[in-house]
Amino acid sequence: MTVGSDDLHVLLGGYLLGGLSDADHRAFTEHLRGCSACQAELGQVSGLPRLLDLAGPAGGPHLSPDAEAAEAVAVDAPDGVDDARVARLLSAVAQKRRTRRRWLAAVAAAAATVLFGAGLWLGPRLTAPPDLPTTHVVASPAPGSSVRVDVALVTRGWGTQLDLDCEDMPTAGQLTLYVIDRQGASTAAASWLGTPTGYSRLTGATALRPDEIRRLEIRDGAGQVLASATT
Amino acid sequence: MSLDDEAVAAIYREHGPMLRRVVWRATSDANRVEDIVQEVILRVWRQAPETDNLRAYLITTARHLIVDQHRAATRRPQQTALVDLPVDDADLDRALDQVLVEEALGRLQPDHRDVVRCLYYERLSIAETSKRVGAPEGTVKSRAYYAVRNLRAILDEMGVTR
Repeated sequence: MTVGSDDLHVLLGGYLLGGLSDADHRAFTEHLRGCSACQAELGQVSGLPRLLDLAGPAGGPHLSPDAEAAEAVAVDAPDGVDDARVARLLSAVAQKRRTRRRWLAAVAAAAATVLFGAGLWLGPRLTAPPDLPTTHVVASPAPGSSVRVDVALVTRGWGTQLDLDCEDMPTAGQLTLYVIDRQGASTAAASWLGTPTGYSRLTGATALRPDEIRRLEIRDGAGQVLASATT
Repeated sequence: MSLDDEAVAAIYREHGPMLRRVVWRATSDANRVEDIVQEVILRVWRQAPETDNLRAYLITTARHLIVDQHRAATRRPQQTALVDLPVDDADLDRALDQVLVEEALGRLQPDHRDVVRCLYYERLSIAETSKRVGAPEGTVKSRAYYAVRNLRAILDEMGVTR
């Protein structure tokens, strides 16, 4: 199957949310290695899974097919705004009235923009991703190992945050992430236990800046390297 | 209506329902939701912030107001303003982020939301999702892409930046 890089680019969504076929997953990780645009884009959205997890296993009331939850949304989301409430608010305003011409002009402009819908402000954002200090690497499995580990290196004031997405990992035993600096010194930056699904998502930390990290290694309890990445 | 009235009414119409949902979910006292929402809008109106993201500013203000009230209630246990709540600010922040994420999911367009549900929460494959939603696999892939981008943009607009 031949696919252009536009088609590959779009796989970022499935890559982040899950569900790509093995072939697509491979194709995208290959593509990611050489595509700085996708790396930057992935850096921007790599925090989403942790946020989505906050909404609970089913994604909260808006996603739940459950009737009770749907009802809860309906109850707490009255449609429209009733005039009595606006009137009450306005009488409070009347007591505190001040002139706010500059701000009011801005609000009026913002309100007008909102009327045109969300598409307008999404537009520029999609075409001009901000330059975030995040890089992304895919660790290659060591010979005889089939693990898949994606690492996002997020620059922080205190060093580097390492967001790991691990698949097909050993299902038991301790796993450790090591960072190796330019001098070859290695330090553990995270340790965790294998899970029955072989899947885990976690965050490690190191005082090294991303440009000081030469290599990342994931090792099992016996110290055997399962996967490594050169940054 | 004066300019002030129009501005406040406009903020209330535009952002009131969202603020009410957020406050309602983050506090457990239905009677106080409207008071908190109105207080948030009044505060923001008084502060007249120079911001191009009024929604995030309103949410941040609501967050502060809820935290303040929560602290006050903790000091005076007989006044139970906030419920199922959180012992410290980090828990409260997480609870609010949860509400905001759920709110953001609610603002995704329905076919994007369906794809997020199938792929992320139900852990279905692209192929299974394609069958479930009755759209070709290529469409599911591109919906997943735009769902992710839009969700990030919606969360940014709400001031959820992590």
